[in-house]
Amino acid sequence: MANTSHDSHHHDVVVDHSHHGHVSTFQIFLRVYVTLCVLTIVTVAASQVDFGGANMLIAVLIASIKASLVVTFFMHLKWDTAMNNIAFLGSLLFLSLLFLFTLADFATRGMADPTQMSPIR
Amino acid sequence: MSHATIVTPTPEGGFQPHTVAHHFKTAEQEFQAAKFAFWLFLVTEVMLFGGLFAAYIYYHGFYPKSFQAGGSLLDWRLGALNTMFLLTSSWTMANGVRCSQLSRRKEMVVWLWWTVVLAGGFMVVKYFEYSGKFHHGIFPFTQVWHPEGHYGEVLAGVAFPKLFFNIYFTMTGIHGLHVLVGMIAIGWLIWRGGQGRFHSGWYIPVDLIGLYWHVVDLIWIFLFPLLYLVP
Repeated sequence: MANTSHDSHHHDVVVDHSHHGHVSTFQIFLRVYVTLCVLTIVTVAASQVDFGGANMLIAVLIASIKASLVVTFFMHLKWDTAMNNIAFLGSLLFLSLLFLFTLADFATRGMADPTQMSPIR
Repeated sequence: MSHATIVTPTPEGGFQPHTVAHHFKTAEQEFQAAKFAFWLFLVTEVMLFGGLFAAYIYYHGFYPKSFQAGGSLLDWRLGALNTMFLLTSSWTMANGVRCSQLSRRKEMVVWLWWTVVLAGGFMVVKYFEYSGKFHHGIFPFTQVWHPEGHYGEVLAGVAFPKLFFNIYFTMTGIHGLHVLVGMIAIGWLIWRGGQGRFHSGWYIPVDLIGLYWHVVDLIWIFLFPLLYLVP
């Protein structure tokens, strides 16, 4: 992050050797990658077992853990500016509103038998 | 008085220096501005797919049988293979970005090549999946719909069997389009990177296209279980 600007021989040229972004290590990326692979195996294995209504919840939960690993480490959000963090977390806020109201609409229709419904085209 | 800021790499030579655009004070400011703008674009991508996931929630809620029958006709092994392709390509991309930050030009190009090859593997699997569905008489968004053999048996008596497949084709289609765009963008990075354009002083395009590629992976992380495993 340190900005070490200094004048070169040219009067109107500034040579800038600054490093801007966070540089991660190979080891961290490798560890995250292995974890993602393991979680993929876990989600496939979990789908072979019937947990009833919790099936989808478990799948989405594992996917969310995988996604947060990608965002935190591969996308460097952990070391990124507050503004970029707010932008991304803001999208999750609006996404949850979208899902919440969609689910609320679905849940309050009060229809038990899907075949009795008028088709949505 | 106006002046030009030129950023050069620190460790090794053979790189092309970058001139900071005149409306930025420093290379740091140029980097942060580009990155923030790109995060805003990524947010619109999240919302684009968010709308499609909302459609998934809605229709799955009303017509679970269409999703269960349709989902059982997808091969989860191909989905898992594609998940590995994209996860691995996300990792190689992260390493490519890291090498660009460290001015390791050759290593960066190799990591980026791996990323494109793995993305190509993903598209090849997708091609076989799509053509398999067409072969069995299942098409997106059309009146042409004549599921044959095993497909016909599974979908017989299911209300609105097209629903799942229209969602499947829409979501994986738009996602696949993003993979293609990403392959072209990473190909451009390989070309410019080979010329020594990206180095510790200036690697904005590598960083941003890297972020884009991770979002493509991110969306697939949710698509795989929701379409192949648990519908």
